Amino acid sequence: MSSDVRFTDFKSDKQPTWCPGCGDFGTMNGMMKALATTGNDPDNTFVVAGIGCSGKIGTYMHSYALHGVHGRALPVGMGVKLANPNLEVMVAGGDGDGYSIGAGHFIHAVRRNVDMSYIVMDNRIYGLTKGQASPTSREDFETSTSPEGPKQPPVNPLALALAAGGTFIAQSFSSDSQRHTEIVKKAIEHDGFGFVNVYSPCVTFNDVDTYDYFRDTIVDLSETDHDPTDYDDAKSAILDADKEYQGVIYQDEGSVPWDEREGLTDSMADIPDGAPEGAMDLVREFY
Amino acid sequence: MPEDLNWAIGGEAGDGIDSTGKIFAQALSRAGRHVFTSKDFASRIRGGYTAYKIRTSVDRVESVVDSLDVLIALTERTIHENTDELHEGSVIIYDGERTTMQDVEIPEGMVGLDVPLKSLAEDAGGAIMRNVVALGAACEVAEFPIENLDESLEKRFSDKGQAIVENNKKAARLGQEYVAEEFADTDFDYSLETTDNDYVLLNGDEAIGMGAIAAGCRFYAGYPITPATDVMEYLTGRLESFGGKVVQAEDELAAINLALGAARAGARSMTATSGPGIDLMTETFGLVATSETPMVICDVMRSGPSTGMPTKQEQGDLNQMLYGGHGEIPRFVVAPTTVAECFWKTVEAFNYAEKYQTPVFLVADLALAVTEQTFPPETFDMDEVEIDRGKVVDEDHIDGWQNEQGQFQPHFPAADGVSPRAFPGVEGGAHMTTGLEHDALGRRTEDTEVRVEQVDKRQRKVETAREEEEWDYREFGDPDSDNLVLSWGSNEGAMREALEFLDESGTDVRFISVPYLFPRPDLSEEIEAADEVIVVECNATGQFADVVEHDALTRVKRVNKYDGVRFKADELAEAIEEKLAAPAEAHT
Ligand SMILES: Cc1ncc(C[n+]2csc(CCOP(=O)(O)OP(=O)(O)O)c2C)c(N)n1
Ligand code: SF4
Repeated sequence: MSSDVRFTDFKSDKQPTWCPGCGDFGTMNGMMKALATTGNDPDNTFVVAGIGCSGKIGTYMHSYALHGVHGRALPVGMGVKLANPNLEVMVAGGDGDGYSIGAGHFIHAVRRNVDMSYIVMDNRIYGLTKGQASPTSREDFETSTSPEGPKQPPVNPLALALAAGGTFIAQSFSSDSQRHTEIVKKAIEHDGFGFVNVYSPCVTFNDVDTYDYFRDTIVDLSETDHDPTDYDDAKSAILDADKEYQGVIYQDEGSVPWDEREGLTDSMADIPDGAPEGAMDLVREFY
Repeated sequence: MPEDLNWAIGGEAGDGIDSTGKIFAQALSRAGRHVFTSKDFASRIRGGYTAYKIRTSVDRVESVVDSLDVLIALTERTIHENTDELHEGSVIIYDGERTTMQDVEIPEGMVGLDVPLKSLAEDAGGAIMRNVVALGAACEVAEFPIENLDESLEKRFSDKGQAIVENNKKAARLGQEYVAEEFADTDFDYSLETTDNDYVLLNGDEAIGMGAIAAGCRFYAGYPITPATDVMEYLTGRLESFGGKVVQAEDELAAINLALGAARAGARSMTATSGPGIDLMTETFGLVATSETPMVICDVMRSGPSTGMPTKQEQGDLNQMLYGGHGEIPRFVVAPTTVAECFWKTVEAFNYAEKYQTPVFLVADLALAVTEQTFPPETFDMDEVEIDRGKVVDEDHIDGWQNEQGQFQPHFPAADGVSPRAFPGVEGGAHMTTGLEHDALGRRTEDTEVRVEQVDKRQRKVETAREEEEWDYREFGDPDSDNLVLSWGSNEGAMREALEFLDESGTDVRFISVPYLFPRPDLSEEIEAADEVIVVECNATGQFADVVEHDALTRVKRVNKYDGVRFKADELAEAIEEKLAAPAEAHT
C-alpha cells in the first residue's frame, strides 16, 4: 500500500455512460476518495458490482473487479474476502439488485459480518431496465409496471440490516460529497460488514425522490444527539418512516468480523506443487 | 465353501441401518476382504424401508447382484422387500420377540434365525445395541472372526468412551454365542476368509472430497442436497485443517458465487450439488465461463426432473452438463466411472479448470457417490498428484501481458485461447472481469470484431485442450469382439461383472467406459469396427447414446434404466444379450 495513492488512481479511462446528473457519479467519487484515504490502492482492492446502472460502477473504477450477474454480488465479494483477507473488498449495486433479486444474500451477508463494505445506490427505481418500480419505491409511485403505484409498502433496508444483526448501518446522500465520503470511509474502516444505503437519485425515471426532495428533507444525524453505538437510538431512527437520515445510524464497536473469528488471515492462492503435506493421512482415515 | 457373501441389513429409516452396515463393511475391509456396498434408502428420516447391502469377496467386487445370502431383518417388511433376492439356504436373522415380528414367515427353503436381539442387547447394557447383537450373530453365520468387528466398533464408538465400546463388544459376543449354541446343528455353508491385504473403504463423494484437498482446493461453498451433501460433510473441518474454508451458503446461487469470488482471489475453488442446484447455478455458470474463472462444479446426479426421486439413481443430467446455460459456453465435462476415479478425476478437473480457465463439470451419479468400495491405499498415492496452475503471472512478469498503456490484459486473445491470470494483490495487475462481452482488458464492449475475437478465443481453449490432453477411455472384455458396449459413470462396475456372465454364456463383448464427456475421446474407429454398438446408461432417452450417434454418424442400440435403481450385473448381461439378438432399432 503506497501512501501517495490519489483517488483518481481508482478511476478507469472509461467514460461513464450514466445520464448527465445521475446520482451514481457522486456515489462513485465518494467511494474512490474513501478507498484512497483509507490507504488502499487499486492492486489490493477488489470491487464487485451488481447489475443495473449502478452496477456499471466497476467498469468506471480501476481495481481488481468483477461485474457479476444480477443480485449476486455479495456472495462473490464474500468469496474474495474469505479467500484473501488481505484484500480490501467493496461491493456495490442498486436497490433492485440488492433488495429484490439479491435480498436473500443481503440478509445473510449482514449476519455473516465479513470484513467488507457494501454500497447500495438507492434511486428507488429500476434505472437500467428503464423505470419500473423497485423494492424501495413508494407505495403510490407510478411506473410503467405499476400505473397506480406498486401498492405495497417499500422495504426498509436499514431495518432489514438491523434485524439481521448488522454491525454497521449507515445512510448517505450522493450529492453531499463530503459527508458521503466520510460515511463510506467509516464503512471501510469498520471491523465487519459496513453497509451504506446511498440516496443516489435517478434524474431520468424518478421525479419524486429527487435531489431537491432529499436536500429538503434529509436530517444529518451528526447534527442531532443520535448515538450510533446505542441500539435503541438506532432502532428509533431506522423505524422512523417519516424521515430521511444521513450518517452512521448504528455501529457495534465490539464487532469481530467472521473472517477473523474463523482465523482466516492468509491468501488461499498459494498452494504446493503436489498434494499438501500430510495428505496421505486422509487416506488412512478410511481404514 | 462359498467365499463370497452378499449380506444386508434392513429396517426402518432411523433404525441405525447405515451405521450398522458401515461397521460390518469396515470390519470386512480391515480383515483384508474386498467390499462393495450399496444403499437402498427412501427420502425420509424416520420410517420407510431402508437397507444397506454388502458384497464381499477375497477378489475385487465391482457391482451389486440380485442375491442375498445373509439378511438381518429388523422389520418384517425387510423380508418382503428382499424376497426376490433370497435363495435356497439364505439366512434371515430376526428378533421373534418383537411384537411386530412374532408371526414372521420365513420363505420356503430359507433358514430363519430367531435371535432375541433386544434382550441380548439389554444384557450387554442397552437395547440400543440390538443391531450390534445382530452383527455378532452374522459373524457366527459367516464364520467371520469377531475380533475384526471389535476394531470397527472401537472406531465407531471410541469418542463415546471405553465403556460404550466394551458394551458393544459384549453385545456382539452375545449374538455370536447365541447362534453358536442355539443353532449348533445348522450348517450355514459360509466361511469368510481373512487376508493380510491392506484396504481402505470409501465412497465416491468422499473420494471427490479427498481429491479436492489433494488437488489443493482451498475453498468450498455449497448448499446441502442429496446425494452431494457428503462432499461438503467430508470437507468440513478437513479443508480447514489444510488452510481452507468450507462455507454453507444460503442457497446454490450464493454457493457458486462464493466459489467464484474465491476463485477470482486465486484459490482453487469448488462447489458440489445435484440437479435442482445445478439449475439454480446455471446463470452464474455462464459468468464463470465468460469471466474465464477456473472452478470445479460437481453435479452428483439423482433422479429428476424437478425434485424427482432424491435418493434414487439416474444419469439424467448429461444434456444439462453439455448444453445447459444460455448462449454458448466452453466447458469441460469429466465423469469418473469408479470410486477411485472420483479421486483422480477431481484432481484432473482442478488442473483443467486452471490450465484452461474454464468451469469444469465433475459429474458423478448417486450410485457412484454412495457406493463404498475397498482399495489398496496406494490407489490414492498422494505423491502421484500433480498440480498445474496454468498461466499465472506475478509482478515480475506482468509487463509481458500489458498493453502499450501499461494495462494488464486478462482476456488477451492468445493463440491457444488461454490468457494470463494475475491474482488480486499483484502490482500492475488490477483489471476488470465481467459477464458482459468484453475486450482484452475486460472492459465491456459491443464492438463486432472484438465480440467475435473473444468468442473465438474462449472456444479455442477447447481445441487446445483437445490437442494437448489425452482424452482416453477404459477398455475391458475382448478387444477384437464385434460387439461393442459403451457406458459412462457408475455403470462400469456392473458392466465389468456383466462381462463375466456374458462370457459364461459364450457372448464376447468389447466394453469401453468413457470418463470424458466433453471434450471426449473420438470413438468413431471403434464404432466402425463393431457390428453391434450398444450404449448403456441410467436414463430414459439415451443422452449419451445421442452424443455417440452424433459423433460417429451412426445408429446405436440402447440399454436404458430409469426406475431409480442402478444396473445389476446379471440383469445388465441379460439386457445386452437381448439387444444383441434384436433387430436394429428404429430411432425413437
Ligand atoms: C436474472 C436477471 N433478471 C433481470 C435482469 C434485468 N435487470 C437488469 S438491471 C435490473 C434492475 C436494476 O435496478 P437497480 O438494481 O435498482 O439498479 P439501477 O439500474 O436503478 O441502478 C434488472 C431487472 C437481469 N439482468 N438479470
Ligand atoms: S437511468 Fe437513472 S440511474 Fe440510470 S444512469 Fe440514468 S439517471 Fe442514472
